[in-house]
Amino acid sequence: MGFLDKLRSKRQGQRVVFIGLDGTPYTFLKRLIDEGRAPNAARLAEQGSLLRMESTWPWVSSVAWSTMMTGVNPGRHNIYGFIDRDPATYKQFIPTSRNMQAKTLWEVLSDAGKRVVVVNVPVTYPPRQVNGILVGGFLSPSLEKAVHPPAYLATLQSLGYIVDADPWKARESKDLAIQEVNAVLDARIRTLYHLLEREEWDYLHVHIMETDRLHHFLWQQMEEDHPTYGPAFYDFYQRIDDMLGQVAGKLDGNTTLVWMSDHGFCTVKREVYVNRWLMDKGWLRLRNVPPDRKKGLDEIDPSSVAYSLDPGRVVIRLRGREKDGCVAPGAEYEALRDEIATAALQLQDPDSGELIFQRAFKREELYHGPYLEQAADLILAPYDGYDPKGTLYKENLTFKGDELVGMHTHHDAMLYVRGRTLPQTRFSVLDVMPTILDLLEVPAPAGLDGHSLL
Amino acid sequence: MEQKGVTVWFTGMSGAGKTALAIRLEEELRKRGLRVERLDGDIVRKGLTRDLGFSKEDRDMNIERVTFVAKLLTRNGVAVLASFISPYRAARARARQEIGNFVEVFCYASLDTLVERDVKGLYKKALAGEIENFTGVSDPYEEPESPEVTIDSGTETIEESLGKILAKLEELGYVPTSEDDSAYTEDEEAEIEARLAALGYL
Ligand SMILES: Nc1ncnc2c1ncn2[C@@H]1O[C@H](COP(=O)(O)OP(=O)(O)OP(=O)(O)O)[C@@H](O)[C@H]1O
Ligand SMILES: [Mg+2]
Repeated sequence: MGFLDKLRSKRQGQRVVFIGLDGTPYTFLKRLIDEGRAPNAARLAEQGSLLRMESTWPWVSSVAWSTMMTGVNPGRHNIYGFIDRDPATYKQFIPTSRNMQAKTLWEVLSDAGKRVVVVNVPVTYPPRQVNGILVGGFLSPSLEKAVHPPAYLATLQSLGYIVDADPWKARESKDLAIQEVNAVLDARIRTLYHLLEREEWDYLHVHIMETDRLHHFLWQQMEEDHPTYGPAFYDFYQRIDDMLGQVAGKLDGNTTLVWMSDHGFCTVKREVYVNRWLMDKGWLRLRNVPPDRKKGLDEIDPSSVAYSLDPGRVVIRLRGREKDGCVAPGAEYEALRDEIATAALQLQDPDSGELIFQRAFKREELYHGPYLEQAADLILAPYDGYDPKGTLYKENLTFKGDELVGMHTHHDAMLYVRGRTLPQTRFSVLDVMPTILDLLEVPAPAGLDGHSLL
Repeated sequence: MEQKGVTVWFTGMSGAGKTALAIRLEEELRKRGLRVERLDGDIVRKGLTRDLGFSKEDRDMNIERVTFVAKLLTRNGVAVLASFISPYRAARARARQEIGNFVEVFCYASLDTLVERDVKGLYKKALAGEIENFTGVSDPYEEPESPEVTIDSGTETIEESLGKILAKLEELGYVPTSEDDSAYTEDEEAEIEARLAALGYL
């Protein structure tokens, strides 16, 4: 028996390899398969279930992955976006693993004595203790601070591991964007193969962020069959497909391959500045126009009744909760919430006349749990193509840029499980954690919001 | 902040809340990014000290072995949560002396409360004379004279008791407070914000 086999055979029972493909739409991968551009995914799809899945509202990666890793809704894990605020002080902050109030899949597995290796998942910085290795993902300030146990840093450095692509470089030019995401993907895949073959684990999770980055910068070029960037986009996916094939080939019979994306993607028609709209409606006033960026939400005039955080999260300036809040709880709050919701559903793109929002959810329609109070009061769900932004001040309601050309969608996430036939029902990212626990034959903690699909 | 090792020693009669509080504290400390190990009477007595009974000698030996393990972990920067009835003052004093960084949590509840609660159904048996050496009924419990924290599980909720313990641990510098708890330095935060802005999230 070779060294690797010996290492592997030490771990008894079921194992899972999980590849996160951030933002790869189900329909896109299906098309690649149908067009013969993803032969490995095609073969694997026949050996298991490749299904469409719903994301969270909002569909940002921090919320979707927090939901994936905890199996509970944001009202219970407390992550509502990439940015949040303390309503009492208007200090803004970046939610991290410290704000996450629920046990993660890898913590449950650790408690059950399983060894886990988890790399690059959003909102896992600062690394919390696991039985194994955890390398923080998006919004880690540096690799040095992102590794548990710290001693594993040296191995990652020797692999040339990189936490994330440089988004400013990527914005400079499409060519640089392609270079950046491919370079980081190299490092990520190299590390993935190393972990797969050299480390001991029952659950190995490697998150590919580069798909999402590529989409943000080049989705439109792909859709429009740009003569150079179109092919570059498909070349990148050929590498993803090749990686899936390689990984599948390295697994033994007790190890299930799973991959997942957390949301879909489409081309941005228009960015929509929700705070501009609230100002136009007289619901939001600023102390200074334009506001001083450094002052953040303190530039909101106390007479304002609402403001918006990214993306489409509308907060009512409720008395007793918000700094200088002026909207009375109860009837006044409800009436204002209804009024804003109704108006949002009528809001049109000034250029095309198209409606911008398909739904205006009251928070209790989406979330429940002890951290509901941290949620925005209304969550505006746009039609695909309209990208709601939280910028406090913009002169115009909408904008079409050429740097960030792709945006997320809700209904087009995906889940793949090899060797299993999953029911073709509607399900969401909430159901992923219990499904993985089921695959690993570890009992799910009581009271998860999601259910195993097996 | 470099984690400073500590042993949080929960003492008190059966059903007073030692295990319940240690479990909640473990969760809370993990959330704050600390390394934690729990040593619990019910678990240790199935392994490390399975050969021991409940005579005074055996109880002392039980605590002596556990103290040794807690000492090794504590000096290596781990937060050790030890939950043992540990009825004898002298044994606890030895543990404190050996371990050094030691926070004693006296878990109190009135006997009435304990009998009524009877989590494991043991008080009923003990009161019926079916269990010899049952602490508080047929065996002594020596209350701590100056524990760092006292909780009364008969009148406090678990979260209230937990709050008292966390506050003491913060005060003693074993657990980062919410102020030095921030995940980013100022420079890092500025850089992260720039990254979010580049991706259109700010
Ligand atoms: N403030 C409180 N702190 C701790 N436990 C509480 C509190 N209030 C109520 N309880 C309840 O009291 C019970 C305490 O039981 P627990 O198993 O923790 O006792 P124990 O001290 O570990 O007993 P033993 O020595 O038999 O292991 C639990 O059911 C817990 O939910
Ligand atoms: Mg106990």
